[in-house]
Amino acid sequence: MKRSRVFLAVAVVIAALLLAACRPPATPTTPKVATFIWTQEFDVLNPLYTNMWFSSITQQIWNCWAWDFDDQNNPRPVLVKEMPSEENGGISPDGRVITLKLRDDIVWSDGQPITSEDFVFTYEMTMSPKNTVASTFPYDKLEKVEAPDAQTVVMTFKEPFAAWQATLWRGLLPAHILRPIFEKEGTIDNAEWNRAPTVGCGPFVFKEWESGSFARFVANDKYWLGRPKIDEIFIRFVPDDASQVAALKAGDGDLGTFIAYSDIPTLEQAGVKMIKVFSGYNEGWYFYLHPEKGHPALKDVKVRQAIALAFDRFSVCKDLLLGLTKPPATYWANTPWQDPTLEPWPYDPEQAKQLLDEAGWKDTNGDGVRDKDGVELVLTLGTTTREIRRDVQAVAQQQLAQVGIKLELANADSDIFFGSYGEGGPCATGQYDIFEYSTVTNYPDPDTADWLCSEIPSDENPTGVNWQAVCDEELDGLFKLQATQVNPTERQQTFHKITRLVYEKVYWLGVWEDPDIWAVGPRLKNVRLSGATPFFNIVEWELNQ
Amino acid sequence: MLRYVIRRLLQAIPLLFFISIILFVLMQNMGDPLATLGGRQVTRSEDRQRLARQLGLDQPLYMQYLYWLVGNDWTKMDMDGDGVPETPGRRKGVLRGDFGVSLVAKKPVVQVIWDRLPNTLLLMGTTELVIIVGSLVIGMYSALRQYSFLDHLVTAISFIGYSMPIFFIALLSMYIFAVNFKRWGLPYLPTVGMFDPEVGKTPGQVALHMILPVFSLSFIYFAAYSRYIRSAMLEVLSQDYIRTARAKGLPRPTIIFVHALKNASLPIVTVVGLDLPFLLAGAIVTERIFAWPGMGRLFIDHVSRGDTPVVMGILMMIAVAVVVFQILTDIVYAWLDPRIRYE
Repeated sequence: MKRSRVFLAVAVVIAALLLAACRPPATPTTPKVATFIWTQEFDVLNPLYTNMWFSSITQQIWNCWAWDFDDQNNPRPVLVKEMPSEENGGISPDGRVITLKLRDDIVWSDGQPITSEDFVFTYEMTMSPKNTVASTFPYDKLEKVEAPDAQTVVMTFKEPFAAWQATLWRGLLPAHILRPIFEKEGTIDNAEWNRAPTVGCGPFVFKEWESGSFARFVANDKYWLGRPKIDEIFIRFVPDDASQVAALKAGDGDLGTFIAYSDIPTLEQAGVKMIKVFSGYNEGWYFYLHPEKGHPALKDVKVRQAIALAFDRFSVCKDLLLGLTKPPATYWANTPWQDPTLEPWPYDPEQAKQLLDEAGWKDTNGDGVRDKDGVELVLTLGTTTREIRRDVQAVAQQQLAQVGIKLELANADSDIFFGSYGEGGPCATGQYDIFEYSTVTNYPDPDTADWLCSEIPSDENPTGVNWQAVCDEELDGLFKLQATQVNPTERQQTFHKITRLVYEKVYWLGVWEDPDIWAVGPRLKNVRLSGATPFFNIVEWELNQ
Repeated sequence: MLRYVIRRLLQAIPLLFFISIILFVLMQNMGDPLATLGGRQVTRSEDRQRLARQLGLDQPLYMQYLYWLVGNDWTKMDMDGDGVPETPGRRKGVLRGDFGVSLVAKKPVVQVIWDRLPNTLLLMGTTELVIIVGSLVIGMYSALRQYSFLDHLVTAISFIGYSMPIFFIALLSMYIFAVNFKRWGLPYLPTVGMFDPEVGKTPGQVALHMILPVFSLSFIYFAAYSRYIRSAMLEVLSQDYIRTARAKGLPRPTIIFVHALKNASLPIVTVVGLDLPFLLAGAIVTERIFAWPGMGRLFIDHVSRGDTPVVMGILMMIAVAVVVFQILTDIVYAWLDPRIRYE
């Protein structure tokens, strides 16, 4: 009798808990809460103090950029009346002075007007040595920032700076909140606002952040581009990829990102819509071309072209990535900066053999591997321990062996693989002849220092980023030129030359285009995503309950 | 007893000091916190050098340890990079209760840990309770009904749990009870987190979200604990004093719970005493899969970013807990077995 009562009590408790699990039916007054799943928790929310991608995209929910970018990567004014240009007088003829004209209806969420003083303050806080901000770039390119009146910001650069559009004013600090703290403490490092920015200027307002668990943002009634149709954004931190997929399938999340290709079919079956957004990432091979330490074969452009022809990246995309992506022609694929006439190197092993013969690399000792002057054509291909990269290594090893090139495979954990020259990183110190990973510019801006001669790492320059040690005078000159071209058309022409040069000389070989993959649950409607500023139209998103 | 406890505490001071030096040196090999700052790109060399100077990471290792231990408010730092220290330090050091500021979260380490500790204690405390109660039931039943069908069945099930990796049990249970139950139209459990945002963080919601993680964690520990209890009980039940108690006509529950279980508890107390400090460290895999905001995830997140202040704070907290719980275990020994005396 007693035992049956215990069982009954346990059954009642379990039943009560399970019933409590059922989501209450939506009523007209139920707030519309969209749940986003982030696989990484942001570190801080102050845009000056973080480089984290998840923090950066979250800032677009509660903070404001002077302009953002739509799904075609066109700039869209947010705080400014129009984008500065030479035609409207916003950019001076010498390209050194850029003037912003602010809208007169922009306000912080507490009702205080957003003025040019907030811009000047943001600049001052970035450059103050008292603050341990993540990066002073690109504000250290500025000579001064002035506020002649409340709606005008005048930026004077030390020299013309072409990348201003994609790098400046990605987030704003409220001077009326933070200036008193800076004046009292001498720094804003410890300001509560860094983690609890209750005053913001985005379509939503910060409400709550519980470490490791969630963050909440509620609709900003004062947002000048219109109140969002969703009442609340609930961001849940779910670090495990498989759990993220389970949560999306179970309807415990409405939006997720960083989805593995292998999970796409099952998510689509569950009614989850997948959106591919190009954000500048392309996976590719870099060739180590150091004049003394590089492999002699790779210094010959014909050998690099032969490798491009012998490695069937189309099969990699079709078989390993389920045909959901394709090889990029250059590092700048999917942007207007790439010469539109360029196509990915085709798969042609016969032509590859011919080029290797022409370069003098032949199998003279019959061991199946080509050689020249007593040097075997054995190359080390290194990458991280990520599974897909290991798979690609194995495919490449088999395919290059068919043309007489032997690949030795090496792998390192990401923190070691991406180490600088000073830290003994295997790429930076030339331990690999070829290395594979994907990176990005200040998207959608195309500028990068990865091919500058001055960035070749050495004992004197241990943090140099030109790990492949390429020093091509023509390329170096073009990169320096484009960095100062504020006229977009002229700059685009320069980049078309750059992309053709990198392509023809095979300084980089694209393996697969690596877009951000977003999973959008069936409840969310009107979702458009941009590569640079994903939530540019979040005020128009709808939630069906 | 009091003198014994005080002596043990005093002995712990040099031990903790030594542990802190070892851990601090080891942490220097856990990656550069400035390498990417958590971003998708390598940090610019100018920013790296500036931040290293501002955060004191360019100082020799012994100076960094000294600042961590006793603070830097007695000296000045060169924040502007002109080679002349001009800004007074702000850190008080561990010896004055200041564990520093997280390099990642930009807030005091004590607060970073405190934000997560209650969640971990809730999850791990509940789990430990379920494990102990469940193992006692299984272990005692198996001892009292040795070689019965149910003894074999329960032992087999507990060993299946013991043989499976936690991530497998966790994901399997999530897919069965959360994803598929919902698809089949059955009452279902939540997949991740601590509560449903449309309902709010109520005790019922938190309890509901704890079911799967507690189940997954408990399942793998039942076997070990219940086997300890079973063998200890079997040994005690064959002792002369149990036979004497039976001969005296004492009620069976009194014999089992007062005489047998209390004497069989010493090995269990040892195991639990060793386990308890590590409850504070959380359960890394389980917390990750169920997105439970506990200490395990905190530790991994900050180790991966090379956040020395937070990692040192967590490790020193566990080191202190190990010392304290060992002393408590000794005290419980003396309570359980009056023959044990400490001088």
